[in-house]
Formats: sequence, structure tokens, C-alpha cells
Amino acid sequence: MGAGMSIRQAMLAILERGPMYGYQLRAEFEQRTGETWPLNIGQVYTTLTRLERDGLVEVVGHGGADEGDRAADQAGSDRQHVSYRATEAGRSEVSAWFATPVPRTQPARDELAIKLAIAVTLPGVDVGTIIQRQRSATMASLQDYTRLKRTGRAATPEEPADLAWSLVLDSLVFDAEAEVRWLDHCEARLRRAALEPGRGAVRHESPAVTTAEEPVR
Amino acid sequence: MKGWRPALRIAWRDALRHKGRSILVLVMISLPVLAVSAAAIVIKTAEVSGLEGLDRTLGAADARIRTEGRGEVQQAPDPGNGRWSQAEDPDPGQPLTAEDLQAVLGDDARLVPITSSWARIRSGERVISLTATGVDLADPLARGLFTLDSGRLPERAGEAVVNQPLLDRGFEVGGEVDVDGTTLTIVGTGRDATVRKSPALLASADDLPPDSDNLREWLVGAGPVSWAQVRELNRLGAVVTSRAVLADPPDVAPAAEQADTGSNEMVAVAVLIVVMALIEVVLLAGPAFAVGARRHARTLALIAASGGTPAQARRVILGSGVVLGLVASSIGLVLGGVLGWAVLPLVQGQQEEWFGPFELPWTYLAAIVAFGLVSAVLASVVPAFLSSRQDVVAVLAGRRGDRRPRASTPVIGLVLLGVGIASSTFGAFASDGDGALWIGGSAVVSVLGMVLVVPVVVAVLARLSGRLPLTARYAARDAARHRTRTVPAVAAVAATVAGVVALGIANASDELENVRTYQPQAAMGSGYVSWSPEVLPGEEPPDAAATWDGIEEAVHRVAPDVRTTRWRGLDEPYDPAGYTSTWLEAQGSREARNGVDECCLSSLGSGIAVADSAAELGVTGDVAADVDRALSAGRAVVFTVSTDLDAEVGIHRDTWGENGDELLSSTTETRPARLVAWDADASGPAPSSSILPTSMTDDLGLAVTTTSLRLDGDLDEATETRVAEVAEGAATGAYTYVERGYQREDFASVVLLVLAGLGGVLMLGGTLTATFLALSDARPDLATLSAVGAAPRTRRRVAASYALVVGFVGAVLGAAVGFIPGVAISRPLTSANVMGAPEQGPFLDIPWLMIAVIVLALPLLTAAVVGLTARSRLPLVARLG
Amino acid sequence: MSAVLHLAAVSRVHGEGATEVHALRDVTFRAHPGELVAVMGPSGSGKSTLLTLAGGLDAPTTGSVWIEGTDLASLDQAGRARMRRTSVGYVFQDFNLIPALTAAENVALPRELDGEKGKVARRLALTALEEVGIAHLADRFPDEMSGGQQQRVAIARAIVGDRRLILADEPTGALDTDTGEEILQLLRARCDAGAAGVMVTHEARHAAWADRVVFLRDGVVVDETGADEPEALLAGEAGR
Repeated sequence: MGAGMSIRQAMLAILERGPMYGYQLRAEFEQRTGETWPLNIGQVYTTLTRLERDGLVEVVGHGGADEGDRAADQAGSDRQHVSYRATEAGRSEVSAWFATPVPRTQPARDELAIKLAIAVTLPGVDVGTIIQRQRSATMASLQDYTRLKRTGRAATPEEPADLAWSLVLDSLVFDAEAEVRWLDHCEARLRRAALEPGRGAVRHESPAVTTAEEPVR
Repeated sequence: MKGWRPALRIAWRDALRHKGRSILVLVMISLPVLAVSAAAIVIKTAEVSGLEGLDRTLGAADARIRTEGRGEVQQAPDPGNGRWSQAEDPDPGQPLTAEDLQAVLGDDARLVPITSSWARIRSGERVISLTATGVDLADPLARGLFTLDSGRLPERAGEAVVNQPLLDRGFEVGGEVDVDGTTLTIVGTGRDATVRKSPALLASADDLPPDSDNLREWLVGAGPVSWAQVRELNRLGAVVTSRAVLADPPDVAPAAEQADTGSNEMVAVAVLIVVMALIEVVLLAGPAFAVGARRHARTLALIAASGGTPAQARRVILGSGVVLGLVASSIGLVLGGVLGWAVLPLVQGQQEEWFGPFELPWTYLAAIVAFGLVSAVLASVVPAFLSSRQDVVAVLAGRRGDRRPRASTPVIGLVLLGVGIASSTFGAFASDGDGALWIGGSAVVSVLGMVLVVPVVVAVLARLSGRLPLTARYAARDAARHRTRTVPAVAAVAATVAGVVALGIANASDELENVRTYQPQAAMGSGYVSWSPEVLPGEEPPDAAATWDGIEEAVHRVAPDVRTTRWRGLDEPYDPAGYTSTWLEAQGSREARNGVDECCLSSLGSGIAVADSAAELGVTGDVAADVDRALSAGRAVVFTVSTDLDAEVGIHRDTWGENGDELLSSTTETRPARLVAWDADASGPAPSSSILPTSMTDDLGLAVTTTSLRLDGDLDEATETRVAEVAEGAATGAYTYVERGYQREDFASVVLLVLAGLGGVLMLGGTLTATFLALSDARPDLATLSAVGAAPRTRRRVAASYALVVGFVGAVLGAAVGFIPGVAISRPLTSANVMGAPEQGPFLDIPWLMIAVIVLALPLLTAAVVGLTARSRLPLVARLG
Repeated sequence: MSAVLHLAAVSRVHGEGATEVHALRDVTFRAHPGELVAVMGPSGSGKSTLLTLAGGLDAPTTGSVWIEGTDLASLDQAGRARMRRTSVGYVFQDFNLIPALTAAENVALPRELDGEKGKVARRLALTALEEVGIAHLADRFPDEMSGGQQQRVAIARAIVGDRRLILADEPTGALDTDTGEEILQLLRARCDAGAAGVMVTHEARHAAWADRVVFLRDGVVVDETGADEPEALLAGEAGR
């Protein structure tokens, strides 16, 4: 439950700054991470309820939201006026979270890696084309992250939250870049393997050759 | 990396790999080595040392003894070339005899008399001088003095052998020749051992008496004559050339030898030339090594990275100096030897004396090879030193490891220049003969100082180049950045220009002196034909009047427009029995004496003219009236600088004996005279120093003859040539002269041209070296230029700009430095007191035109040549290639 | 809009016979005004050849190269040089500044080579330096500047005089990440202002600054990405 876990702790960490109610909490989170991992408000309150159950946050009462917020959240229910704050236990949970590195022992389930691993072993599947399509897609994403990075508030960070967003974008950029490089690497490995018929691991033609004639425009 | 071996190996491989650069260095070093070693071989071969020359003077004898009379002499072991002196005055009355010598040498010593004299003989209308040797050529002791080619040796008195030059003058084997009244029959011809180009004759000693009675000479056959015996004979008054003594010279330095002047100065001058050549070669070869060092930058950085010391890194570059220096010296030496051997016959053709056997002066040659080696190593020292200090990290990272040039101060250079100026000033005013040495030394010091100033000048130029066009700016800045390559090239150009400018100033000043001190021999535009009879003792002089008639008639025939006037003077022919000379001396008042003694009125004919009117001598104007009045009054006329006075002169007639050293008689007659002031500034030289009227010469019984035929009128060069030809035809030995003012000698112009050509070649060489090395170094920059859109011709422009920067900076600096020794040397050079010259030195003339050509035109020309010859293809960017 | 750079069916063969190498095979490629195109591919894929052809430093074996509507084959060497100093700007990995010239002089180089007067060229150079943010370093020599500053000078040199095609060969290769991004930003800004840019790089992160990424392999364009809208991408990412 990696992502869920980190959202729970991230919310707890934001609450440490002071009491907040649900909408406020969601806004603060999204300001820091862009709209990369969008939260719906229900998810926020579910998490808050669980945190309260675990004794990590407590309700401090109603009010605290300003007029602007109220106007923005006109769809609101009563709960929107309930503010939460971190308890002593919550604060130590946050400290423990920051103090512990994110474990990499359990690789995230990577669909792309699984897809390629399967494709390579199956006859009749054009791995080269898969790689190429994937690379184009990843490259396109990379271009978009880069455009966000150089245009929006991440380009000229003024507040800590902007900087945070910029760093998150960087993380995405480096991830995508790593993926492109890994795809390049796969392609090169496959080509090499194709040139050594004795291995026989990949029976179909080199992806480069199959795609070479493909008109580009 | 302990020893030199790896460094030398790298250097050798590198030399093979970069053939162009290697050949450049080889040529620059081997050429001077070649030239100097060829010269050394020729000079040493031409030089006949005492031992080599022995057979020529001694024949087969053990010694040759010469005496001028009893009276002790001192001599060097080899008394040749005047290395002996008379310790006490000889007694000519009592010459040494063979018995006197035998008393020292032993009774069984064989003494063969030999005489040598200088004689004049008649050949048709001409009189020929020849060297006459009297010796019994049949005697075994005389073997080697003469090599017979045809005919036979003289067997009895009255027979003679001669050499080829005498035959060339109209004699033949079997013919007769009349020497000082003795008629000899020529019986053979061949080669005289000492005289090569001028006539020589050998006959019996009885037929050819020595020049004077007290002179005696013998060839000695007595076994080896020891130094002790020589000293003993010296005490008697004999000078001895002993084979044994020369073969094993005693360790003595008699007083006679200490008067050995001039040789120190020669050595100093030679050292100076060598030093200058060394500087020039080092400067010319330096850039090549600088570029080599740059190419090796990576190698050197790797050596440093793998733990090599800077000294080991240096050795790689020094190693290429050693390798190239050795190879170049060897090539130069071998070619020099071949060249020397090849030109020997040509040089021999120009020389009077026979050369010695072909000789390889090994000590000199070794020194010359060392010179080549040293110059190559010196040229590589600075690049080696700098490259051992390069930025290793930068080089290994693939960047250019240039250290930014440090701002250097020209203090030492300026101090040296100051020392140069001071010492050349000292040299210019030095009274003794060392002046030239001081100035030469100052030239070396100045050039060294200049070399040290060059980096600063180059840097300043780079700083000021902001407003120059792009390529010039690039060239100036790049030149300043790569000083190891630029400075020696600029300095080489500068040193060359300095030399040319210095010599040019000296030459121009010398020319100016020649012009200013020129003494015309006739009024400008007029001329004369002179002739005097050649008479041998006992001969009747030809009829002078008839000869002059013939000459005058012939001149009129070919040049009818030319007026002729006979000038008369005293007839004072050479007569072996006695020679009379006549001279005037003012007498009476101090004023008169001073007037005549005033120095130094220049006159066309220095002697005494005989005339009865001013017009006869071509004198016109106010002076003519004065002269005419005096001459018609029977007065002698004496021209003075500023004195007009009636006075008296003593007319002295001195008669001298045969050898001109004995006054036989002297008479003085006093006559009235007129001192006439002659304005030389307005009228040019006076026609003669004095004039005697015919009445006075008749009165004194002085023989008067025509001395020359003055020519006036339209005397262009064609007329002059015609007149000269017919005059010579009418009277052998007639000499025609037309005054055209000072004429520069062709030879001097040729020397100047050669000098300019050499300077130009060296300048071009220095500039081209630097430019093309710079271009190959600038490849990356040129590639960049190409990529940002430089047209192909940009490369040419960069090359031309580079040549311009190097040539121009070098020329300006060199011209400035050349002034120091140039101006200084012109002073002693033109200070000689010229008797009778209208002006006295020192003179100074700066050849501005030549300097302008060198400083402005030559660099532009070089740049144009470079621009036209440089490739116009730009290299591609390495990464994109 | 017509392309600033158009490579039409370009092939380039180096060498002959056994040593024959096809650097580019029948590549067609366009760069439009306002567009930054990245060319990616492994070494030996023909990236650099494409750039030398585009700059007229080399001529194609077959096919033609058009810059702003002019066929380079119709120009002589001098004409191509003129094209390089008026229409094309080069940026190199190792900057390739001329050490003997100051920053301003390096930038003014193409204008001066074009015969512009020194003063005018300098003014243009200062404008270009201003644009890349180092006008205050105008009179420094290259070896007195950091790598990033030198590359800025190189970019200023490539854009001086309003050139509309910028060819960059691994412009960030010798720089650290931050400095590299600044340089990319400059290139990007220049293209946003209307120039066409072609950048050869092997780093996807840098290629992502481009509007379009062309993949070359063995002299052939194997793939090409245009840009989609970022929102769509984010949606896609979220779904992944």
C-alpha cells in the first residue's frame, strides 16, 4: 500500500504546521505536489478519520476557515468546518517517517518491465515496436514534464511550496529519463542478441530492421 | 625515464614523423654550418703554413739563410712574414760570407747562393715587372723551387726559365729577354713555387744580382740546423729559416714575435660574427621547437602524470634539439666539405699564391659542428622549459594547456639596450682601434636586449589591437598568446633588420664621406689624356712632342667637337742614375710662409704647371687677371686658400740616388712670386698648386714637357670611350679621364644589393616560419571561423595578418636597434683625415628610403606573398568531421 | 509555415567500397520557425552528420538541403560560408570560442566576417550577450570565464544578427546539470522567439526541451515524437 501509506503520512506532516480542515489540507498537499497525485476530498476525509481512529490526529473544533475558502467550497457539507490537528503520537509518527528512508526492497510493480519480460519470451511479438512505441510515449511525457517545469510556477519558484512542486517534477523527469535509457538499453541488448544467432533467445528479426522502413511522417 | 635514451628515442621518432618541421630546422642549422665549414676548409687550404711553404722557399735545402750585413738580429722560429727584427744596425760594408756561416754550420755545410730581386723588362712598348730568382736550379738543393713543364733548366750563365704569365706577355721559349742589361735566353717554362699569376724568371745567380749589394742569401745543405745554431747565426746577423726548427719549433717567444698586432682584433671580430650567427639561427629555429613542444604537450603531460619529473619532460624537447642539431651539423659538415673541395679551384684562380695541399682543419670543423649542435639545443631550451611547466590537468582534459602569459617587465631588456647604446657611444669616440670592437659588442648586447623587449612589444600590440580589422586583431592577440613561438620569430626578423639597417647606415655614411671628400681630377665635365714614356735604364726616351702630336691629332679625328689644350709641366723622368724633384717654398715674411703652408688647398694637378697665361690652364674670372699679370711680370704664381700677396719663393731641386734613399744634390733658387687666393668653394679645385712662367723655367734651365692634354666640350661617355681608344692607340699607356663627379663603385652597389637580398631572405624566412607554424597551430580556431561562416579566403587573410604582425613588429624593432651600432660605427668609419678633401668627417647619412622599404614595404610584401601562397581551405571542426 | 531547414531525402556516404559507411540514408527532416527539434540516437547513428549537412559544412551524397528556401547545392563554398554567418548559428559541445578574442569579439565574429563595421558588429554582439545574460562579461577572454559562461557566449555568437537557424551539437555535454538547463532555456527562448533550432543530444532529459524529438539509428529516422498537451499526459500518468 505504498502510495496510500505515503499520502497518510504526508497529510499528517502537513497537519503538524497547524489545525486544518479537509479542503484546506487537500489544497496544501496539491500545492506541494502539483496535480501529480490528485486527491478527491472523500479520500482526504477517509484518511483523516483513520488517523483520528489511530490517535494520530484530533478534532479541534469548528471554524477557522476564512471567507474565501468558504466561498470556494460552496458545495460543502458540515464536515468542512471541522478542523484537525496532529496529536503528540502523530508528531512522533511524522518524525519517524522523515527519519526512515523509503525502502526499495520491494520493487514497485512495473507494468512496462513485466510487459517486456513476457513479450521477449513469446514468439510472434514484435518487441522492437513495443519498445519504440513505449519510448515515444515516455519521451512525450518527458517533454510535457519539461514544459511544465519551464513554464508554470515551477520555472520560477517563489515559495517553498513552488520549490517542492519543482522537485516533484524533477523526480518525474528523472524517472522518465531513466525509462528512456532503459528502453534504449533493452533495444541495444535485443539487437546484439539478434546478431548472435547461437543464443536463439529472440527468434524474430531485429526490431531496428522491422521498424526501419516504417514511414515516419 | 632515468637517462636520455627514451627522450632521444621520442625525439628521433618525432623528427621522422614531422618531416616538414624537421627539414625546416635542418636547413636553418645546416646552412650556416655548411657555409662556415666550406670557408674554413678553403681558408686553411689557402693558408700556407711555415712547414707547408718550406719546400717553396727552401727547395730541398735544410735551411735558407739571409743577411743584410753584420749585426745581431732577432727572429721567430719561422721568420716568414717579417717575424724578425734587426737588433743592431747592420754594417753593410762587411757582408757575411759563406765562411762565416760555415764556422757555425760546420765546414762540410754546402752553401748555394740564391738571389731574389724585382726587375723591369721591356716588351715592345710596354715595361713589365717580374720576380727574378737567381739560383743554380741544377743543384739538388734547389729542387722544388721550379717545376719544369717544357724545355730544359738553365745549364750555364745567360740562360733562364720563365713561368706561363711571362710567356703570356709576349715572350717565348727560345727567345731572349733583357734583364737589367743582361741578355738571357729562355730555355724552358714551368711553374714557379711561389709566384703564380705574375711573371717570374729564374736564372743563374751570377746573372741576377740581388737588389742591393749587402743582401746575401744561401740555400744550406748541412743536415738539420738546430735552434741553437739559428741563434748563433742570428748573433752574426743572419736570419735563418730552418726546416728542423719549423718541424719542431722551440718554445720561445722572442721580442720580434711580440709585435704581433691585429690578430686579437680578428679573433674578436670572428667571435662577434659567430655570436650573431648563433643568435640568428637560434631565433629562426626556436619557433619550430616551440610548435614541436606544443605538439608534445600530451606526451609531456602523460610523462608528468606517470611520475616523470619536469626535467625528464624537458629532455624530450631538448632531445629533439640534440637529434636535429647533430643531424643538421653532420649534413652541413659533409656538404660543406664537398663544397669547399669544389670551389677551391675557383678560389685558386683569384689568388696570387699557390694553395697548400687540401686540408680539413679538424679542430675548426669540430667547433663548427658544436656550433650547430649548440644552436639547436639553445633553440629548444626555452620551449622545453616552458612545456615542462605546462598545466598538466588542462592538457590531459584535452584543453589547450596554455598558461596565460604573465605580464613580464622589459627591465633587463631595456638595461641591455642602454648598455648597448653606452658602449657603442664609447666605441664611436674611442681613439684607438678598439672602437669597432666596442660597437660590434654593443650590437650583440643591443640585439639581446631587444629580444627581451619583444614579448612586451608584442603584448602591447595585442592590447592596442582592439580597433584593427578582425584578422589583424586575431593575429596580434594570437601572437601575444603564443609568445614562445612568436617572440623568436619576431626577434629573428628584428635581428636581421637591425643588421641590415646598421650596415646600411654605415654604408650610406661611407658613401656620403666618399662624396664629400671626393677630389675631382679635372673641372667637372672636362677631361684629360695623360701619358708619360716608360723608359728602362740606358734607353733613349721617345720623342714626347711627336707622341703628343699623334695623340692630339687622333683625338681631333674622333671627337672634332672636343677642344684640346696642352698642359705643360716640368720634365722629371725616372732615371735609375738619379731622380730630380722640384718643389716650391715661400720665403720672406711670416705672412707669405703661412699663406703657402695653409692646409690644404685642393688642386687638380698637385704639381707645378708651366704656363704663360691663365687661359692656358682654363682659369677664368677675377683670378685670371691676377694670374696673367703675375705671369707676364715673370713671377711664379702660388695658389693659396686666402692670401693675396707678392712674395718670394724658393725653388728647390733635389736629386736622389737610384734607390730613392740618398740625396745626391740639392739646389735652391729664389724668385719673385705672387700668392693668389683660390676660392675652392666657388670654383672647385685649383688647376695646380703653382704656375711657373716659361721665362722662369728657361732662366732656371728646367726642362719643360707636355704633361697632359686637357679636353673640353661635349664629352659624353661614347666620346670618352672613342678618345680613350685612339689615345691608347696613338701612345701605349695613354690614360684618358673625364671628370663626372663622384661615381659609386659598382662593387659597392653589388655588395649593398647582396646585403639587402640576404636580409630580405632572412626576414622572409623568419616571417614564413612563424606564420606557417602559427597557422598549423591555429587549426581549431580556423575550424571555428569556418563554422561561424568565414569565407575560405579568411585563412589567407589570417596568414597575411600574421606575417604582417611578425614582419612589421620585427622590422620596426630591428630598425630602431640597428640605429645604435649603425650610427656609432659610422663615426670611426668616416673620421679618417683625407688629405686635401673639401670636407672632413665624421659623416652620418641615414638611408631613410632603404629603412622605409624594410620597415613598411618588406612586411607588406611578405604578407602579400604569404596571403597568396597560403592554402585557402579552412579545416572542418574536429568534432563535426 | 515554410521550414527554415529542410533536408530532402538526404543520404551521405563516407568512404568507398569495403570501407563505405552510410552515415545517413534517405533522411527527410524539417525544422520550422519557433520550433526546437532534438535529434537523438546512439553514437554512429548519423546525428552529427545531419548537423554538418544542415550547416553546409558538408554536402550530401544524394538529396538536397534547403535553408530558408535556398538549396545549398546551388551555392559555392563562399556562398555557403555566407549562409553560415547570416542564417545559421552553430553551438558546439566544447564551445569553440577563439581564445585570442574577447567574448564580445567572439560574438561579433560572424557579423565582422560578413563585413559589418566594427562598431555596429560590437553593438549587435552586446545585444546578443545581453540576451544570454552576460553583457557584463563582454570584454573578458574565454579563459577568464566558466564553462557555462563560455557556452552562453557561444550561443550569443550563434544568434547574433537575427539568425533563424541554430544548430547545436551536444551544447550541454561539457556542463553540469544546472548550467546545462540554463543553456537549454536560452535555446528554448530563442526558438520561442521565432528561430528554428536543431539540437543533437544523447540525453533524453535535454531532448525533452524540444518540441519534437527525432530518433536516428543507423542513418535512418526511426521514430519521432511531437508534443501532446500536458494535461492529457498527466491524466495518462495518473492512470498508469
